[in-house]
Amino acid sequence: MQAKGHLHPITQTIREIYSIFYELGFEIALGPELEREYYNFDALNIPADHPSRDMQDTFWVKKNGKTERSKDEKNLGGRLLATQTSAIQIRFMQEKLKEGITPPFRVIAPGKVFRNEATDATHEAQFFQLEGLYVDQNVSLAHLKGILENAFKKLFGNKTEIRFRPSYFPFVEPAVEVDAKVGDRWMEVLGAGLVHPNVLKAGGLDPDKWQGFAFAFGIDRIVMLKHGIDDIRLLYGGDLRFVNQF
Amino acid sequence: MKVSHKWLETYFDKPIPSADALAELFTFHSFEVEGIERLRDSTYKLTDTVIDAKVLPDRAHYCLSHLGMAEEVSFLTKQPVKSNRSSRSILVSLDAKPTIKIEDPHFCRRYMGRYVELNSAASSAHSKDGSQSSPAPNAEQMRSFLAAIGQRSISPIVDATNFVMFDVGQPLHAFDADKVQGAIVVRAAKKGEKIELLDSSEGPGKEVELLASDHVIADDIGPLAIAGVKGGKRAGITASTKHIIIESANFDSTAVRRTATRLDLRSESSKRYENEITPELASLGMNDVSILVSQAYPSAKFGPIVDQYPVKAIHTTITFDPILVEMRLGIRIPSREVKDILERMDIGIAEAEGGKWLLTVPFTRLDLKISEDIVEEVGRIYGYGHIQGILPPVSKAKVPVLPAYYLSEMIKNMLVEQGFSEVSLYSLVAKGEVETAYPLARDKAFARANLTDGMMACVEKNAMNADLLGLEVIKVFEIGRVFGKDGESTMLSIGVGQVKKVKGEKVDNILINSWEMLNKELGNNLKPKIIAKGTNAVCEINLDELLKSYKVPANALYSDLHFGPASPNMYRKISPYPFIVRDIAVFVPENIEADNVWLAIEKGIANAGASGLLACHSLFDTFKKDGKVSYAFRMVFQSMDKTLTDDEAGKIMEKINIEMKGKGWEVR
Repeated sequence: MQAKGHLHPITQTIREIYSIFYELGFEIALGPELEREYYNFDALNIPADHPSRDMQDTFWVKKNGKTERSKDEKNLGGRLLATQTSAIQIRFMQEKLKEGITPPFRVIAPGKVFRNEATDATHEAQFFQLEGLYVDQNVSLAHLKGILENAFKKLFGNKTEIRFRPSYFPFVEPAVEVDAKVGDRWMEVLGAGLVHPNVLKAGGLDPDKWQGFAFAFGIDRIVMLKHGIDDIRLLYGGDLRFVNQF
Repeated sequence: MKVSHKWLETYFDKPIPSADALAELFTFHSFEVEGIERLRDSTYKLTDTVIDAKVLPDRAHYCLSHLGMAEEVSFLTKQPVKSNRSSRSILVSLDAKPTIKIEDPHFCRRYMGRYVELNSAASSAHSKDGSQSSPAPNAEQMRSFLAAIGQRSISPIVDATNFVMFDVGQPLHAFDADKVQGAIVVRAAKKGEKIELLDSSEGPGKEVELLASDHVIADDIGPLAIAGVKGGKRAGITASTKHIIIESANFDSTAVRRTATRLDLRSESSKRYENEITPELASLGMNDVSILVSQAYPSAKFGPIVDQYPVKAIHTTITFDPILVEMRLGIRIPSREVKDILERMDIGIAEAEGGKWLLTVPFTRLDLKISEDIVEEVGRIYGYGHIQGILPPVSKAKVPVLPAYYLSEMIKNMLVEQGFSEVSLYSLVAKGEVETAYPLARDKAFARANLTDGMMACVEKNAMNADLLGLEVIKVFEIGRVFGKDGESTMLSIGVGQVKKVKGEKVDNILINSWEMLNKELGNNLKPKIIAKGTNAVCEINLDELLKSYKVPANALYSDLHFGPASPNMYRKISPYPFIVRDIAVFVPENIEADNVWLAIEKGIANAGASGLLACHSLFDTFKKDGKVSYAFRMVFQSMDKTLTDDEAGKIMEKINIEMKGKGWEVR
């Protein structure tokens, strides 16, 4: 019998995290890597020419030698490489409603995203995120904390604590940065918050009736933490001396 | 935003918490603190502490200033901000005033201008009107505050306008009044119109060409400044300036952002306009800068303030249901406490119908528009630490299966079973059909059009490490997106590298076997094209196409895919140095097991002090002859610190040989 191969550690971690949420009834959604401006920004309450767009350096796609950036409602704006898995939120809500399915929604969306930033040991122009979206009636930050505590205890052990710090992501309000205490070190692990009413509206829901929370894990960061990896570039080097260690 | 602790103190009557304590408060109630810098004089005495706060766009309306930061301190410590800090106003002793016209009131919501006769040279020393009673800082204090946040002193007028900008958040500008011809007009630029800009710390001012979407401050001759972005050279302040016109204005955030971005002229001023500030702030800015100019030029004479303010700002009101605090935060906060928090923010509260509150938001708080914004303010000030986690209701319904995900994960499992390892390669490459603007590097300008190119390089690279990996065949796969003119597709690429020739086994066959297994499992008939290069071969399969013929069984569950915890292994560093391979074959009596032989070899390696250099080993051949058995081991040596030499490997082999001979075994 021949030896088994190895799954990439990113796949392993996505699977581990998803299996935690699967137990709670979360389904999976996938989105495109080549996104439209509407889904990636406008529908997420990030208007054109707003400083919040600076928070994510974007790879815009060129067309006929020119950057595609002109806002065109009919074709959903210019094309770009998805900067965040949050774009999948809108597509998911719209599709569900089109199929006649109403909340509660529970969904996990893993995906590769891109940022036009210089790369080094801790930054890559491509990385993986795992988005979570939960929509129901009477959703609170306490539910968000409950579900994340559950996830981090399963990921990093029962003693793991989490805490919220105020932050800003245009698609959630209130917005929080989440730290996890792994061992005796607090580490920033994800961004989260209650889904902004404008995002629910863009998804096709009445924000007076429905609320939700959303969060986005940086998978690469979790992988690096879990396995003690000191250089993010190892994840994308295609080197079996690395992959076959896991 | 850099915040000087000394500067912040000027807003309070009583001592405020230390910079470290404030940083802690900001972190858990306001925003991230990126650093704390302690400033010392030549005798190493602490002169000030500077907090570097990461102000994001929501709080940038009011927190890109020491005043805004002082308000945050007040929200968190309950200490009131001094009310009389800039109450003094300037005596108007001249009739002269600029004529101001706003052509586009949407772009310019307010423009205040005032004429000042400077009269004497600047007084660089302390203010003469008794700095004790004046709430404004004296010139020396002002310069040290500016220096603390990294702003160098330029001239008394520029220092004053800069200081007020960092103090209250209102950008200001001053023109040499004698060089302004006629009325000051705020208007759209004419296409092709040019302006020579003021020099900056980055170098001499350049000439830029404007578009009709840009806006300028102009006089009869032409542009004096790019509104909100940068001043022009023609009416710039010089050492010989005798009369000035001070501008305190409000410009449209979007238009300023577009112009500043296009011309690559992001400035402290444009940054504040871009994030939008209230036009109400202009009067505070004008008042404060006038006081500072009068301190710098004690005999200066001031004209009246001309205030063009076509549409006055109105307060945002929010009808707020206080029950939302508990519903959204999931914590019960006494109503009195909620009101206290809002009142500290100077938010007016009036009881409205149905137990709701009608909230009146202060002008500066452009971030507060809807009820959710109020929930956030209450939550963060009260403290998110009070929230206790509650697991939301769990669904017992069957989780729907997404065919695309199910298929890709099932294929991953099948390939891993067959000895293939998964890689995740770069999506940005040197050539393709989808090109990105402003790429990080020329060889990363395109989104990949196939997985094959990356996979072929990956197989070649790994084949060179086959001995180290202990593999005779390199077997790799990737599932990822590719990008063509018509959009993206999900592809599977499988790569095989035959390192060791085996009779009758061709690299193509290994590849064909892999997808025949997939065909068998998926009930399909894939026949992908093989791309071969020497002993390496790659194929690529379109999973979106496969999904059209493959149907996920109706009773499929994600749990069938056996997702579990990730490997517990910690990463072991990969040596950047080359490895050395040595084989050894030992003839031993038939009753000696391979393990015993290996133990003896290991002892030899240890005797050479080289245990740490053994990267891996394998038993690659065994045969029996004349009551004896031969075991052949392959050993791979590698150092983390250097390139091993043949000589060093030779010494290890010598020690192994000594050990073998000691056992009476024959090394072949």
